[in-house]
Formats: sequence, C-alpha cells, structure tokens
Amino acid sequence: MAESYRRSRWSNGLFVVPYLSVFLTLLVFPLGWGIWLSLNKVDLFGGERFIGLKNYARVLSDPIFGQAVKNTVIFVGVSVPTLVILGLFLALALNKTTKGSSFLRGVFFASSILSVTIVTLIWRIVFIPNDGLMSLIFNYFGWQPIGFLSTQGWSLFSVGVATVWWCIGLPMMLFLAALQQIPKDLYEAAALDNATRWRVLTRITLPSIKSTIMLVAVIQVVMQFQLFGQAQLMTNGGPAGSSRPIVMYIYEVGFLRWDIGMGAAASQILFLIILCAAMLQYWISTRKEEADA
Amino acid sequence: MKRLLLGTTAISVLALSPIANANTTIELQRFFGACDAEYGSSIDVSAAVGECGIITTLVNKFEADNPGIDVKVTTVEWPGYDQLNAQLASRSAPDVVSMHYSAMSDYQSRGLLVPLDSLLKEQGIQATDFTDAAISSVTKEDKIYALPFDNWTMLFHVNTNLMKQAGLIDKNDNPVLPTNRDELFAQGQQFKNATQQPYLIQISANETAAYARIFYTLMMQQDSKFFADPSRIDLSGEDAKAALTLMKEIVNKGLSSQNLDYPAAVSAFANGNGGIAVNGTWLIGSYDAQSKEANNALSDGYRVFPVPQFFSQKDATYADGHGWVVPRGDRSDEKMAAIGKLFKFLYDNDYEWARTGHLPTVKKVITSNEFTSLPHRSDIAKITKTGQALPAEVLRQFAIQDILGEELGSAVNGNKSIDDALKTAQYRINDLLENI
Repeated sequence: MAESYRRSRWSNGLFVVPYLSVFLTLLVFPLGWGIWLSLNKVDLFGGERFIGLKNYARVLSDPIFGQAVKNTVIFVGVSVPTLVILGLFLALALNKTTKGSSFLRGVFFASSILSVTIVTLIWRIVFIPNDGLMSLIFNYFGWQPIGFLSTQGWSLFSVGVATVWWCIGLPMMLFLAALQQIPKDLYEAAALDNATRWRVLTRITLPSIKSTIMLVAVIQVVMQFQLFGQAQLMTNGGPAGSSRPIVMYIYEVGFLRWDIGMGAAASQILFLIILCAAMLQYWISTRKEEADA
Repeated sequence: MKRLLLGTTAISVLALSPIANANTTIELQRFFGACDAEYGSSIDVSAAVGECGIITTLVNKFEADNPGIDVKVTTVEWPGYDQLNAQLASRSAPDVVSMHYSAMSDYQSRGLLVPLDSLLKEQGIQATDFTDAAISSVTKEDKIYALPFDNWTMLFHVNTNLMKQAGLIDKNDNPVLPTNRDELFAQGQQFKNATQQPYLIQISANETAAYARIFYTLMMQQDSKFFADPSRIDLSGEDAKAALTLMKEIVNKGLSSQNLDYPAAVSAFANGNGGIAVNGTWLIGSYDAQSKEANNALSDGYRVFPVPQFFSQKDATYADGHGWVVPRGDRSDEKMAAIGKLFKFLYDNDYEWARTGHLPTVKKVITSNEFTSLPHRSDIAKITKTGQALPAEVLRQFAIQDILGEELGSAVNGNKSIDDALKTAQYRINDLLENI
C-alpha cells in the first residue's frame, strides 16, 4: 500500500470543507430547491401545493416557450462560432510583443468590463431610429433606414452584435494565453521546411490549442444560452417575441406572472438543454481525439 | 500607544454618532426617474419641473421641515415591481413604495400591504378628502391601502406650430382634432402632405404599455365589457377587432412614427418630428416649460387634449394612477408616525405634484384657483369624468398589459394577422389568470 494512502486521515477532508460548503449552499441546495419548486403550484410569496409534473407539461405545451427555445438556439448557433472565430482571429493578430498589440488587446478586452446596462445603452445609441448611428449612416447614403430593434430578424441580430462586442474579450485572452504556450521550436522547424502560413496555422497552431478552442466553445455555449440582459434592455424580447430568449421567458413567468413553479420548471429544462449541449460538444471533441489517436 | 488608543476610540465614537442621534429613517422606493444632479439638494418645490424634479424636491423639503426624519430614497427602473417582489419575498421591503392603482390588488390580495386607515386618520386625512375615482382605486375590502397621489391617462400632446403649417388650426387658434375615424385619416394625411412629418408620434418599439393603453381606451369607447368576468378576458368580439384595426390602419397609412422607443418618442416630439405625441399626462409640465422657451420646436406652440372619441358609443379613456403604499413588515410606532407625517406632507402638496400634468386626487386642489389656472388644465378637465380603469378585481394587470401589448404590436407592425394576435392574446391572458 502506498505511503501516501497509509498516511491519509479523514481529517484531511476538512481542507475541502470551505469549498464544499459554498458549493452545497450556493449550487446544490438551490438546484434541489428549484426542482422541488418546479413540482409545486407556488407563487413568489408561498402557498406551495404539490402538482407533480404539471408545470413541465404547461411549459412544454406553451408556444411562447417553444419560440424562446428556437430564438435561443439560433442565437447560440450564430454567436458562439462568431465569438470563437473572431476571438481566435484577434488573438492571432495580436499575438505579438509590440506596444501597439498590447494597446489593442486592452482595447478589445475593455468592453468585457462594462455592465450589461452600459453595453445596451451604447448599442441602443447605434441602432435607434432618427438619431442613431446606423440611421445617420443610412440617411447619408440615402438608404431606407432599418428598424434594427423593432423588426423581426434584425432585433435578434442586433442583440447578437452587442453580445459579441461585449463578450469578445475573454475568448481572445484565452486564445492568446494558449498561443503563447506553443513551443517556438515548432515554428522554427516549420520555417526551415518552408511551410506556408496556412500550413503552419492548420498543422501547428490550431492542433496545439484545440483544447482551448473546446474550452472557449463550451464556456460560450453555457454563457450564451443564458442570454437575458441585452435582449430585455434592447428589444424587450420583441417584436412579436422574436428576440425573447429562454431566460427572459423564465423571468416573465416567475417575476411578472408570479408563477414561480412554472418558472422553475422552465429553468430545469434550460439546465438540461445547456448540460446536453455542453456534453455533446465534449463528447464530439473527445471522440475525435480518440479517433486521431 | 495611548494616543493611538484615544484616537481610535474617538474615531469609533464619531462613526457611531449617527446611531446616538437616532433619527427616524424612512426607506422610500419609487420610480419617476433620477435627477440628483439637478435637484439633489433643492428644496424649492415651486421651481421644480417634471415628475422627477418635483418628487425629489418634495422629499428634500420634507426632510428640511422635519429634522428628526431622514428619507432614504431608492430610485427603481419603472415600474420597479420586480425589486419589490424580491424584497417582499425576502422580507426586506422598504417602508414606502410608489405603486400603480392597477397593481395594488395583486399585493393587497396576498396580504402584502398595510391598511392605512388609522395612519391617515391620525394625520387628519379623511377618505372624503379625495376624489371618488382616486379613493375607490385604493380601497379594497373597505380598507384604504394607499395614499392616492394622482390619476393619469394618455393624451394628445399637440405641436400647434406644425398644425398651423398643415392648416389644422381653427379661427380661434385652436388645433383641429379629429372627432371620428374618417377625420383622423383625412387630417393625418393633410398634416403629412404639408409637413412631411408623421401626424402621430407613438411609442412602438421595446414597449408594450402604450399599445395596451390605447387599445383599452378604444375598447372603452365602444363600451366593451371585455373583462365582464374579472378572471377572463374576452377579445373574440367585433369590438376588439375594430379597435385593433384602427390602430393598424393608422400605421399602414403612414400616419404614425415607427420604431421609436419611449425616450426616442419623447424627444421626437420635443424636436418637432411629428404633430401629435400620444403620451401620458406626466409630460405636460416638461413640454409646457419647453414651449415657454424661445427657439425650439414647441416655442409658443404646445397644447394638450384628451384622446379624441373615435367610437360613438361612449366618451371614455383608460386611466390609472399612482399611490404610496406601505408594504408588510415590522415597524416601530415612531417609524409609522414618521410615515404618517410624510403622507400628510405629500397630501398637502398634491397641487405641486399636479404641476407635472397628473390629475390631483385631493378634491380641494381640483377646485382650487391655483390648479385650474395652471396651463392646459381646462383643455383636459373632462378626463376626470371620462377616465375609466379596468375592474379592480382583475389581477396581474401589468403582466396582462405586457402580453396584450406584445400581441397588439405584432398585429400593428404586420408580424401577425389581427385575428391571430387577438386569439393568441386571449389564450395567453386567460392561461395566466386561470393559473393564479
């Protein structure tokens, strides 16, 4: 028996108690409570009555929830690849030790420190009709102005633009950190072999950072499925619910309609969707790695 | 070391001195916006303009007049019920909260509001001091649950400079407004042709309340009983179709601004980008002040009128109001007495609040010379008679407004057919009401 195992004591487990207590209090307990609430007819101020899976049946048969799921999946499907590709592009472009690139890293990361209120205020000024930046540009060229925040299709696009602008800093920084871990001798060897830039990118750079690409993708999938503030403040989910994400549906049901049971049921469904999406992504990537090996 | 100890003790004593002073603190939570930069230290109520300016200076003045009472104000984003719900659920609600009459039944029916009969009585305020419309809105099960502060409705704010340009001014210098639907379209087209501006400035983006309020008005003008049963809405009749068709036709004929959210719509009218702003009473004070300044789009060119009667059955307009409530919670007698004083002060200053454009709730203010001599009040006086609320028994009126506004907006902007929008709105609202 190994020495370390023989010397282990139950009291060593105390080291994880601080983390475990926070984890149980702030994550496991609310999750369990949320599941319990989803099985009850309950409003914000109590009055619990067990009703089994009726809340789930109501959520799943609600066409507004179906529309919110569709909106969110489209949003994640477009915004996550955009964030990954754009973040990678910026990281590759700024992976230098010049003063200019350091300055630009700061510039591109700066938006990440803003609150959602400020971000949406800025993009509202860009997209609003009459005095908005886009409106001025359209008028300058004599084009018919577009109601970016109030036209079906454009509203979700506008929320996506604001989101990408806001969230691009983290993927860029993670990619930069990964790029700087790639051994320089790989590039020197490629240079000796007269490898083209494209070949260097596809044969050295991307394979070396594929675990970071997966990490960024999973983080962004989890984050973007939780889209809320931008949609609420920029479009209020409209027009005709075309930019209402799942979290906004949960908020409306729970806080505006006071139907906490139904809101909790929708939350559990969102939890499952995020879990499945992240697991699927992880499964695809590990399966590919195994196939490569 | 001794000096250090003495110094630390002195600082501790100073830090704790507010506790020693023990002023009574009232936590007041309100919407109406934030304007501390302009009015944060002002106590000159008569010089203040607009909802935010007047309520801020009123609170400042109350604090100055009552040195033993501090009012800690928290300004919330309109309407602020999310925060209040969270506070009530966690038993940390503020002492005084601004609340719409239409939202009051939700809270009162769950026992979340404190009855104010004895508190008002102690201050010498009688129920009969208030207008019938106001006191009936805050009275539930024979108890008063709020200090009624105002009544409001949507109005036609008119830019008479542009109306003159369009030839829509009569010989007495009054703007010519439509008295039926045909006149609305004819005058709207005339205005548009002459000024190249939209006839109406309406809030249509990122908004649900404005659609719902106008729809309620058009339904009430048809004497529709769409909430005959307070637990069900009926939008299946021709009345609902006629109301929504009118709203849609205004947009289809290009007579209304498009894609404007609330702030954009307010500033569009102020900048002269349209003839008539369909907006609330609360803007009268600000637009009137602007009209008295030189060299702007509204200079000497602002009037305001009730929404015209487009259906012959009844002269009616949807109305609501603001009141001050005390949420459930443990409070000392001193604090309740301080709240009583604050309510008496607000009651005494109902005229000042009425300068915003809202209708006063105190009878003696309505009949006072100072109120009737305020600009535009004679033009909108009839809304005290034509103003009509939804039945008080209808719960979740804000959630209903959101659902209804969303569906109406979908039809008006061409994302859904009128029939589909009304059918969906009815289904969603009734699903909400059935599951309370």
